[in-house]
Amino acid sequence: MKLALTVNGGAVQVDIPPSTLLSDLLRETLCLTGTHIGCDTSQCGACVVHVNGRSVKSCTVLAVALEGADVLSIEGLAATQPAAELHPMQTAFHENHGLQCGFCTPGMIMSAVELATLNPALTEDQVRAGLEGNLCRCTGYQNIVASVLAGAAAMHTATQEV
Amino acid sequence: MVNPTGIGASLLRREDKRFLTGRGNYVADLKRPGLTFGVFVRSPHAHAWLRGIDASAALAIPGVIAALTGADLVADDVGGMPVGWGIHGKDGLPMKEPPHPAMAHDKVRHVGDAVAFVVAETIELARLAAEALVVEYEILPAVVGVLEAVRPDAPQLFDDVPGNLCCDWEMGDKAATDAAFQGAVHIARISLVNNRLIGNPMEPRAAVAEYERSTDRTTLWTTSQFPHVVRLLMGNFVLKIPQHKLRVVAPDVGGGFGVKQFHYAEEAVLTWAARRLGRPIKWVADRSEGFVSDAQGRDHVSEAELALDETGKFLGLRVSTLANMGGYLSTFAPNIPTNLYAPLLGGVYTTPAIYCEVKVVFTNTVPVDAYRGAGRPEATFLLERLVDVAASDLGMDRIEIRRRNMIPKEAFPYQTPVVVMYDSGDPMGCMDRALEVADWAGFPARKAESVKRGQLRGIGISTYVEACGLAPSRLAIQMGARGGLYESATVRVHPTGHVTVLIGTHSHGQGHETTFAQIVSEKLGVPAENVDVVFGDTDRVQFGMGTYGSRSLVVGGSALSMAANKVILKGRKIAAHQLEAALEDIVFENGRFSVTGTDRGRAFEEICLSAYVPADYPLETLEPGLEEQAFYDP
Repeated sequence: MKLALTVNGGAVQVDIPPSTLLSDLLRETLCLTGTHIGCDTSQCGACVVHVNGRSVKSCTVLAVALEGADVLSIEGLAATQPAAELHPMQTAFHENHGLQCGFCTPGMIMSAVELATLNPALTEDQVRAGLEGNLCRCTGYQNIVASVLAGAAAMHTATQEV
Repeated sequence: MVNPTGIGASLLRREDKRFLTGRGNYVADLKRPGLTFGVFVRSPHAHAWLRGIDASAALAIPGVIAALTGADLVADDVGGMPVGWGIHGKDGLPMKEPPHPAMAHDKVRHVGDAVAFVVAETIELARLAAEALVVEYEILPAVVGVLEAVRPDAPQLFDDVPGNLCCDWEMGDKAATDAAFQGAVHIARISLVNNRLIGNPMEPRAAVAEYERSTDRTTLWTTSQFPHVVRLLMGNFVLKIPQHKLRVVAPDVGGGFGVKQFHYAEEAVLTWAARRLGRPIKWVADRSEGFVSDAQGRDHVSEAELALDETGKFLGLRVSTLANMGGYLSTFAPNIPTNLYAPLLGGVYTTPAIYCEVKVVFTNTVPVDAYRGAGRPEATFLLERLVDVAASDLGMDRIEIRRRNMIPKEAFPYQTPVVVMYDSGDPMGCMDRALEVADWAGFPARKAESVKRGQLRGIGISTYVEACGLAPSRLAIQMGARGGLYESATVRVHPTGHVTVLIGTHSHGQGHETTFAQIVSEKLGVPAENVDVVFGDTDRVQFGMGTYGSRSLVVGGSALSMAANKVILKGRKIAAHQLEAALEDIVFENGRFSVTGTDRGRAFEEICLSAYVPADYPLETLEPGLEEQAFYDP
């Protein structure tokens, strides 16, 4: 089936089988392998991307349902910031040791960016509840929560400065 | 001068950026020209005869390339999966080591046991073909628990393993321990199940195999914690591919936890199939498949007794454990509940007599092997639960009973009755500090406050002795290891003073690219950003045992430090030649080689450049180049 949508700011036109998942479209068709597959059951959250600004588990979305949609994956996140090498949330994960093996990190960051966007005054409890759908096996979450709080604060500051 | 990127400096991780931006390089991300896709067909039965496989419907699907079975492995003379440790029983005889075919050909012994591997042009077609494969099973009675497996009437997994007993193993002095129990005023007893668990790294296991006809070389990319060991085991024992014709790469790996430190059957099947079919093949386990094919952890059933005198002093410890191996022996499996278990039963205590017997048992379950701590947490959990039970039995305080039995600081080095000697320690000092920082004394007040809010609150204490880096090779081989436990590192200094480290450990979250660069920075005085750390590729790195058992820094880091020392020595030789001084008069400090007591010297970078553009070296005594390798054995 023919499909036209926007991925990381660029127009994409593809012809794909109707069973193609968004995660397959990104990973296999478009070679954007930063979106990871860690489970079969939409539990791990390693595949989280944004569709029209909201986080979705891309392993559970049929690509053909996204005609005209605006998709943002981890590879496109930094470019949403003017002249910055990294998005403030990516910087916060780096500075707070919010990652180890890195496999859950892209999904974790995409979920965190949505949380911080929807709620400019995030609390620790809200972060913990908000990341329920993202599993990490290495860190024990402490540094991830610290990263998200720091990243959210940095995003908010950046917005106010603009 | 404090080195801002040396040992002890708090650096941000140098490996982060690629992970933060989605540019990591995991096995499942790999694409190769002409790539095909493989799916394993696995037994839904715990124990069954394999009566036949009909692949005709699967092969009739356009785009399906092959359906390979255990019989094809036999026909191609593919060997079984090797075991890296061989233990001996009470009778002095070696453990039973039944064959472990890479895919079953006569009998399946656990749910998930692979019976076929289908390969197709797309993953969807491979899945379709796997569903279309008709496998005929004759179901047999199964046994899944260790207590049931050793009963006389239990189903038998292997004809030549009577009673499903792989090994009846022991450690310690039985007579001395029995005598200690004769003199006991009290005996504390515990029955304990240490449940089986599944490791579940976030990244499921995956592999890509490719055969290059023009060079007769084979490459396997795999989610492994130790690619060199996979190359050695698979090349030498399973597929008989010479080491120089086989490359194993473990790129970015999404967590290991022990699950990825074994040589798995899937690696051998993929490599064999890629050579046989002449096409690259990718296999990525899904999470459900991981549950029935990743080696699992723990699974002990134990009885333990602690003999005490009237003051609460430990007189003797007797442990009897049944350890579940699952349906086959995984790479390190027999070592885990034996050599990595019983020597930890001394803990931090002065228990004078310890005896431990372990029945290592086969059952119709997924194989069990090392998982996080591997044997040592099992021993610690048992010992510390038993100490708590003893305290409760005697009406003693949990802290006090530990204090009375801890090895005093002045008693080190301390020889335990279970092989190991502790060179140093201060258990009581550690416990006092832990009680202080945890505010143990303030617990009753915290509990009262919780009760007021209608909530429960508890507190527990455990001591722990860990055996990091396992053991010196000589000792490990005495205990049954079939290989040494050293590590190697090469420090390659480039003409500009930049450094490439080639090391045999593997980082899958530990941050080696930062830590090892700091060691080089400390030693050679170069900034950490000028150091690249290379690992995980047998074509680039000399050899290595990989990362497991908390060994990377203590064993690999030591090898790296030794290699850096050799670089400094070589640099001093070059400086001695250039400055026309004696070697013993050349010192290396703050990134500079100089003649001691003078201001004559050469910067590190000058020596590096000179090493590669030498004009006047006395070649009989001073070779060009600045690259050194070291092996460290703990």
